Amino acid sequence: MEVFLQTLVAGILKGGLYGLIGMGMSLIMGVMGIINLAHGQLMMVGMYITFLLSHYLGIDPYLSLFVSMPALFLLGVAIQKYTLNPLMEVDSILPENQVLMTVGIGMVLTEITRFIFSSDYKSVQTSYSNATFFLGEISFSIALVIAFFIAILFTLFMFWFLLKTDVGRSIRATAQDKDAALLMGVNSKRITIITFGLGSALVAAAGTLLMPIYYLFPDIGGPFTRKAFVITILGGLGSTVGAIFGGITLGLAEAFGATYIGMAYDDMIGLIIFILVLLFLPGGFKRLTKI
Amino acid sequence: MKKSKVLVGLFLAIAVFFTFSGCGDNGEKDSIKVGIVLPLTGKLAKFGEIENKSFLMAVDEINAAGGVNGKQIELIIEDTTGKPDVGRSAIEKLITQDKVVMLGGGYSSSVTWATIAVAQQNKTPFLVNTGSADKITEQGWNYIFRLNPPVSEYPGAFESFLKTVGTDVKTVVILHENSLFGQSGSKKFAKQCEALGLKVIMKEGYEAGAIDFRPLLVNVKSKKPDVIYMISYIMDASLLMRQSKQLNMNPKLFVGGAAGFTLPEFYKNAGTASEYVYSATLWTPSVPYPGAREYYDKFVKKYNTPTEYHGAEAYSAMYVIADVLKRTKSMSRDDIRNALAETNMMTAFGPVKFISYDKKVNQNKLPTFLVQWIDGKLETVWPKEVATKGYVYPAPKWNKR
Repeated sequence: MEVFLQTLVAGILKGGLYGLIGMGMSLIMGVMGIINLAHGQLMMVGMYITFLLSHYLGIDPYLSLFVSMPALFLLGVAIQKYTLNPLMEVDSILPENQVLMTVGIGMVLTEITRFIFSSDYKSVQTSYSNATFFLGEISFSIALVIAFFIAILFTLFMFWFLLKTDVGRSIRATAQDKDAALLMGVNSKRITIITFGLGSALVAAAGTLLMPIYYLFPDIGGPFTRKAFVITILGGLGSTVGAIFGGITLGLAEAFGATYIGMAYDDMIGLIIFILVLLFLPGGFKRLTKI
Repeated sequence: MKKSKVLVGLFLAIAVFFTFSGCGDNGEKDSIKVGIVLPLTGKLAKFGEIENKSFLMAVDEINAAGGVNGKQIELIIEDTTGKPDVGRSAIEKLITQDKVVMLGGGYSSSVTWATIAVAQQNKTPFLVNTGSADKITEQGWNYIFRLNPPVSEYPGAFESFLKTVGTDVKTVVILHENSLFGQSGSKKFAKQCEALGLKVIMKEGYEAGAIDFRPLLVNVKSKKPDVIYMISYIMDASLLMRQSKQLNMNPKLFVGGAAGFTLPEFYKNAGTASEYVYSATLWTPSVPYPGAREYYDKFVKKYNTPTEYHGAEAYSAMYVIADVLKRTKSMSRDDIRNALAETNMMTAFGPVKFISYDKKVNQNKLPTFLVQWIDGKLETVWPKEVATKGYVYPAPKWNKR
């Protein structure tokens, strides 16, 4: 029973973080219809910002959220404005080439980081990195619990933002029908730029929250891009609530797989779920929740 | 329009820069070309970097001392990115395009396994210095030589430690990363445990790079093993130890099977969770070989960062290569192969002599050592003759420290 409960806790806590990672990609995919394959790499940049602030200025990783998120928002805005949008205007280039562009951006980010920081592994050690509390026999990592609640907070915020604010409504309108939104007077170019910035800021938050418990090196982005992709498909395109459910589903699947099947099949389990969802529930959890 | 012109210009500038930097020293005539394959990027880049620096340091020393019979050695180092397919094409390029006389390097078992076949096919001698899966030298391939012991012999010192000190150890859990290195090592270690009369109650692989090992570790904890033996690359090693500490898991011994557990980064990232962790290792600066300590000091002085056994392997491999090139009758690959087979020399990594035993051919046989992290320092604790500090056994419980 102890093993079961500990696995459940581990899965849910990790899933919260996964949700945050997937949310940004989901948003971008919903609005622009492209897969941002530089997503994990953007997270890596956010993590390096956190690392630098903590290493040189002694700023707590949670406080550095206030730096890493705006910084990545600006980076995302710049990427969309100067590299992705210009591609749309060239008629001879298919819009799908934006996806290829994101692959290139991901590589450039990785190699620039390697050039600056070399391939050394970095980590941020805080007083609470290894702190745990016990409920009965079950151990909770404090850093993961905090990360989980911040992730939930961001989800609720995004939910409110998309439903209630003007910009949020414009984003949803663009996601539903770009041409119609344009006719209704939505500046879709500006919306894509804001969306990409938001997506980048969200994944930067995930990276920053991950920093106290994980480690960092320039190639860390790739696996997370893949995870984000799986989560996005699980949750449904453009759905923030779906993303958090997708994240927790993936987290639970990985945790239970690790305990009862074998940790070596970590990635396989995630991808099998991915295939099952595509086959039997195309559209993801969004189809069930309708939001 | 203007913007796009600037972009195109920038792109061209970058392209031109890379084209030129790609063909550096093709002008030199009187040099002997040796190809080295290492992971310089990708998740294994940290190890590749240490080996790369050591290779360069050794070749500089050799060339400064007059090179090989008056000729300079030119190293052509190719990046495998830690992927077998990239490794294959890298080695094909070295053999067919650069026409190197022999090959060296070879980090990570999976990549090395993929590349040696190409070397054998093209009859190009390849001195492997790190890839440690047993089957690399078990194919009867006569162009493949290996400087380092195979992974199954890594725990040699640990076994003798168990026989003498840890006689009350009865049960073992083996955790290993799931590529060729971990699989090969764990299989052999499980067999050796049985030969020692120990019971292997769990043997689990995991995918390198996982965030959360708790589900796996809780499972291990419920089995209450005496020893946890882990075959891991560096960051998995730190996370495994940090999370073991968080779960308050207390076996008598935590033992790492070399690789990740001996790097300075392990202590930096695992912090206090690294305390009293044992690891098998192939080399420490205190081993009784001439030049070992000097290599360590020179490396620290030159690069301002510590080195460990992977670096020593690369450094010594370079000296073996230079020795072979001095002794060979001609620069034909067959003569070099024959010279390699006759190697009998002392290096900073230990004596090098290629022998055949069991199923292995052209394999160098070396003893291994047991180290332990004590007060943030990696101390050699076994065998006693080379120990720098007394061992701590059994490790105290986490909550009683």
